[in-house]
Amino acid sequence: MTGNGKLVLALPSKGRLMDQCNAALAKAGIVVERTGPARGYKGEIAGMPDVEVNFVSSGEIAQFLKSGSAHLGITGEDLIRENMADADERVRLLAGLGFGRADVVVAVPACWLDVRRMSDLEEMALAYARLHGRRVRVATKYMTMTRRFFAKSGVTGYRIVESLGATEGAPAAGLAELIVDITTTGATLKANGLKVLDDGVILQSEANLIASNAAPWTPELSAIEARIVAQLRG
Amino acid sequence: MSPAATLADSDALDAEARRLMAAFTGAGYERIAPAVIQPAGLFLDVIGESLRGRTYVFSDPDGEELCLRPDLTVPTCRWHLERHPGGRAAARYCYSGSAFRYQPVGADSAHPREFHQAGIESFGVADREADDAAVLVLILDALRTSGLDGLQIRIGDLGLFNALINAIAMPERWRRRLKNKFWRSDAFRAELARLKAGPAAHGQGLPSELVLALDPADAETTTARVLDYLDRTGIELIGTRTAEEIAERLTAEAADLQEPPLAPEKAALIERYVAIKAPVHEVADRLTELAHASGVDLAAAVAAYRRRLALIEAAGISMRGAEFSAEFGRNLEYYTGFVFEVIAPALGAKSPVAGGGRYDSLLAEVGALLPVPAVGASIHTERMLAVLPGARP
Repeated sequence: MTGNGKLVLALPSKGRLMDQCNAALAKAGIVVERTGPARGYKGEIAGMPDVEVNFVSSGEIAQFLKSGSAHLGITGEDLIRENMADADERVRLLAGLGFGRADVVVAVPACWLDVRRMSDLEEMALAYARLHGRRVRVATKYMTMTRRFFAKSGVTGYRIVESLGATEGAPAAGLAELIVDITTTGATLKANGLKVLDDGVILQSEANLIASNAAPWTPELSAIEARIVAQLRG
Repeated sequence: MSPAATLADSDALDAEARRLMAAFTGAGYERIAPAVIQPAGLFLDVIGESLRGRTYVFSDPDGEELCLRPDLTVPTCRWHLERHPGGRAAARYCYSGSAFRYQPVGADSAHPREFHQAGIESFGVADREADDAAVLVLILDALRTSGLDGLQIRIGDLGLFNALINAIAMPERWRRRLKNKFWRSDAFRAELARLKAGPAAHGQGLPSELVLALDPADAETTTARVLDYLDRTGIELIGTRTAEEIAERLTAEAADLQEPPLAPEKAALIERYVAIKAPVHEVADRLTELAHASGVDLAAAVAAYRRRLALIEAAGISMRGAEFSAEFGRNLEYYTGFVFEVIAPALGAKSPVAGGGRYDSLLAEVGALLPVPAVGASIHTERMLAVLPGARP
C-alpha cells in the first residue's frame, strides 16, 4: 500500500474518534473524502493528490505506524505508548489535536486510607504478599505502560492481570486489588469505589497527529507532512 | 548470518555445553532437563513484573497462560519440588538449555533473545559459606577447563547489608523498607532521605482525626475506628484487603509520625556501607572498622564473609584482583545473600559470561514448606564462545 509513492495517512474508521478527527481536519481546511464503494476504507484529500487515506481501527493505527505501512496517522497517545515499548524511537508526535482527552491512571479502592502515593503502594504490596501468600494484582489493558510506570516509581511487588473490559469493576469483584485504566471525569472510578493515587497519573493522553519513522519518506512526502502539520496547528 | 554459519555456531555451542556438563556431573551434580514451556503465573509471581516485561508470555488454546522460560533456576526449583514434595531433601542439579528474553530495539549480539545457559543449582546444604564457595569455584573451573582466561570476578553480599540494617536500632518496618529497596538504588536513596527527614516527610494526606485516634497497642479498637471512619465518610470497604490490614498500616504510619527521624550518624553509616567498592580482601577489615567506630555488632556476618573467601582460595582460586561492591546486584529480586559475576574483559561488565548467587527464599515461594538454603549459577554459553580463542569456525 506504500508502493505508489504517495503519503499514506491512517485515520480512525469509526466511532466518536472518527467524527472528532474529521471535524478537526475540516476545521484545518483538510477535507477528507471516501473513495470507491460507499463504505470504502480508502479516501483522498481535496487538493493533496499525493495523499492516500486509509481508514482503520484506532488500535491498528499504532501498528501501521510501527511497521511503516502508514507515514502519518491520527490516534490516541495512549495507544501509541501501549503498543510500542520504545515509542520515541519509532514515531514522532507532531501535534496534539485537543480531542480524545483521557488520563491513564493508577486507581486503588478508596477505602485504602493507608495508600495515597506510589511509594505507599510498594510497601502495602510487601505486606499484602506476606499476608495473602501472593502478589497484589493490577488489572489493566495497559500492560506496557503499567510496567514502565511502576518500575519508574520503584514499585515491584505486583502482578498484572490482563483485563479487556470493565476494568474498574475488578477490585470490587475480587479479581484484582487495583487497576490502571483510562478516565475522563473520574466518575466511573468513583462509582466503583476507587480513587486515583496522588502521583498516579501515568499519561495525559489526547489524539495526536503522529509520524512513523519506519515509513518510506521522501523529501516530497516530508514537505506534505509539514503542510498538514502547519494547517492542523493553524 | 548465513545458514551455514548458524549451523556451525549451533554445533560449537552444543560441543561447549557438553564439556561444561561433563565438568558439572563430574563434580556430583545430577543432570536434568526442565521444560522450556512453563506456567506463566508461578514464574511471574516469583520473578516479578520487571522480568515479565522481557518474558514471552502466551495463552494456549485452553486459555492457560504460559511462558517461555526466561531462566532455568525457577524451572529447576519446580523440578526439585515435583520429585521431593516439601523440598527438604538436599540435591545438586545441573542443566544446559535455552532461555528466552525479549530484547529492545538495538540490543547487541551479546544480548540475543534466545540464549543458552549451562548452570548448576544446589539445594538444602546448611553450610552456606561452603556451598557459596563451592558453586563459584566449580563455575570458574568449568570456564577455565574450556580455555577461558583472564577472567574478572565481582562479588556482593546481601547478608552483610541485612546484618548491618539489623544491627542499627530502628523500627522493624523501616528495616523492611530499606531491605526491600536495596536493589534499586534510586528508590533506596529516596527512602533513606525520607527516614532522615523524619515525620514531616510522612503522613501527607492522612486524615488527622483518624491518626490521632489509632492506638498501636490495641488492634481491635483500631480496626473498629477505621471501619467507623469509612462509614462516616461514605466510603465502602471493597476488595480483598481487610479493614485490619488497612488499620495495621495506618497505625504504622501514625507511629512514624511520632518517631524521631533516623539519626544522621545511623544514616551516614548506611551510606558509608553502600559506598564500599574495594578489593575483596580489604572488605572485612573496612567493615570491622566501620562497625567499631559506630558501635554496631557485625562480627558474625564479617566472620562468614572471611570464611567464604578463605574457602574459595583454599580451593585454588586466587581472589586477588576480585572486586567487592556493596551495591553490586543482579536485577533478579530473588537473591538473598552472596552474589557474583564473572566478566571477560573482551565483553565487558555489561555482558557477564557467568553469574549466580544465593536465593534462600525462592524454593518456599515456588512451593516448599519451609525456606530451603539454595545457591546456583549459570554460564551464558554464547558469550563464552564469543571470547574463547579459536572457538568460532
